[in-house]
Amino acid sequence: MSVATTNHADAERRAAFFAHVAAGGKVEATDWMPDDYRTAVLRFVEMHANSELMGVLPEREWLLRAPTLKRKLALTSKVQDEVGHAQILYRVAEDLGKSREAMLDDLMHGRTKFHNVFHYPTRSWADVGVIAWLIDAAAIVAQQALRESSYAPYARAMKRICWEESVHILHGRDVLLTMVNGTAAQREMVQEALNRWWGPLMQMHGPPSDPAKDRDLQWKIKSKHNEELRQEFLGVYVPRIWEIGLTIPDPNLRYDEETQRWRYTEPDWAELRHVVTGHGPMSQARLDFRLLNHAETAWVRDVVLGNGRQAA
Amino acid sequence: MSSLPAGISHDALADLLLALADDELVLGYWDSEWTGIAPLLEEDVAMSSMAQDEIGHALAYYSLLAPHSGIDPDAYAFGRTPPEYRFARLLGHARTDWGFTIARRYLYETADAVRLESLSRSAWPELAGLTAKMRREEAYHLLHLETWFTTFMSAAPSAAERFRANLAQLWPDALDLFAPLPGEDELLRCGILPEPMSTLGARWEATVRPRLEAASVAVPLNSATLPPRSGGQHPDFSWLWNEMTMVYRLELGAVW
Repeated sequence: MSVATTNHADAERRAAFFAHVAAGGKVEATDWMPDDYRTAVLRFVEMHANSELMGVLPEREWLLRAPTLKRKLALTSKVQDEVGHAQILYRVAEDLGKSREAMLDDLMHGRTKFHNVFHYPTRSWADVGVIAWLIDAAAIVAQQALRESSYAPYARAMKRICWEESVHILHGRDVLLTMVNGTAAQREMVQEALNRWWGPLMQMHGPPSDPAKDRDLQWKIKSKHNEELRQEFLGVYVPRIWEIGLTIPDPNLRYDEETQRWRYTEPDWAELRHVVTGHGPMSQARLDFRLLNHAETAWVRDVVLGNGRQAA
Repeated sequence: MSSLPAGISHDALADLLLALADDELVLGYWDSEWTGIAPLLEEDVAMSSMAQDEIGHALAYYSLLAPHSGIDPDAYAFGRTPPEYRFARLLGHARTDWGFTIARRYLYETADAVRLESLSRSAWPELAGLTAKMRREEAYHLLHLETWFTTFMSAAPSAAERFRANLAQLWPDALDLFAPLPGEDELLRCGILPEPMSTLGARWEATVRPRLEAASVAVPLNSATLPPRSGGQHPDFSWLWNEMTMVYRLELGAVW
């Protein structure tokens, strides 16, 4: 077969693949897929897995400090879920051709990214509530849309993950609700935590982007664009935050009846870029912590997996 | 209505239940520290499950005591000073590395299995029922730890040696799990404790010591030099206590 014929056959196969995806068709790990689609899915899932794994660290700081036995059990179980999500997602990513060890190595050396919110410090027990309620809620808005992903193994993983995340939101809301109904100092602690997290929360879905230029959207790896996700989050959670008596630290935040959209102060996109490229207040400390623990447990992986095999 | 056998004093009851509860509580706390940083993601999830089981068991034991003492389970868990805890010396140490964690858990799980089997025959139906239920969960812990024991013992010499040294180091402190309880005579008379702690200790040693010796662990001779169940006085625990009571102590009486 000549080179020209091969190229022509490839182009046809590629066109058929994207027509299948555009029509709502699903792709399995064992199906043929164009390299750029494979790379795009891998990059997306790897970043998601990294975020689950790094998201463990801020909450882990409070695992030993939960103020009641029931909170201790709920938080340990929640953080365990996040580790489980990382495991599931790394497996999905591994099928696309990158080993878990290579992904962890890239993460720990700052070569791949994780969500902006996990680059910030935690300061009080109220942070545990804000993370589980609002950050997980913002995440779930995005994750629910991923249950429709064109990459079927990812869509299936997201069904389970979304179910577990919805339990976390209840836990987080209960932590905050108990505190706002408690002493003045407790209420103040919750408001202070909300003030600190609001900026990163508003940045979390990313700046508004042109859906026509977003390849992940065209290929249906994801199904909603950034601003759509943020509007959805605000629509559900702003009234709920107000309902428990908290003040959102944005004087411009309001629902515009005319356009049926939430108006807000422009989030600090420069901060977002700075933070996700590894320059956040806790970026390096958290990566160093992970690197240190990974090195200290290497001997155990050698015992279990043997030297020549994939480890993590 | 409580079916607590007649003639038991609150102090004797607390001697038993706080020893059991505090052992589980502190082990659960140390091991929950592995959440998020265990050697493998799969093991991270497993260790976290076991830690949660132990803390759930501690809560159940405190709750069994609460109606008789009027003290809330959280007040037992967070409202005491370090020397007031009654856990065995085995549980006083920090989690250290994975080999140490597994060695401690192996000794603890095998000992707890003996203890639970006996307590499931208690004349106090609540305790018998609770411990019978715990045995079903602990059976999985034991299986998991047996797998690790075999894995480490058949590993390369450096790793196997490291694990053997951990077991040998912890052995004397593990014996403290079966130290006689101050109110033991009363507990035995009422049948709450079906057998003396020394009998349980001998039963555990008869199965575990040969196993360790067969695996070339240099098991030291028994020598009790420290006061029994003084784990709360271990320097590592004062660090953990500060962490675990940090938020609880912020505002006493606040609801969290």
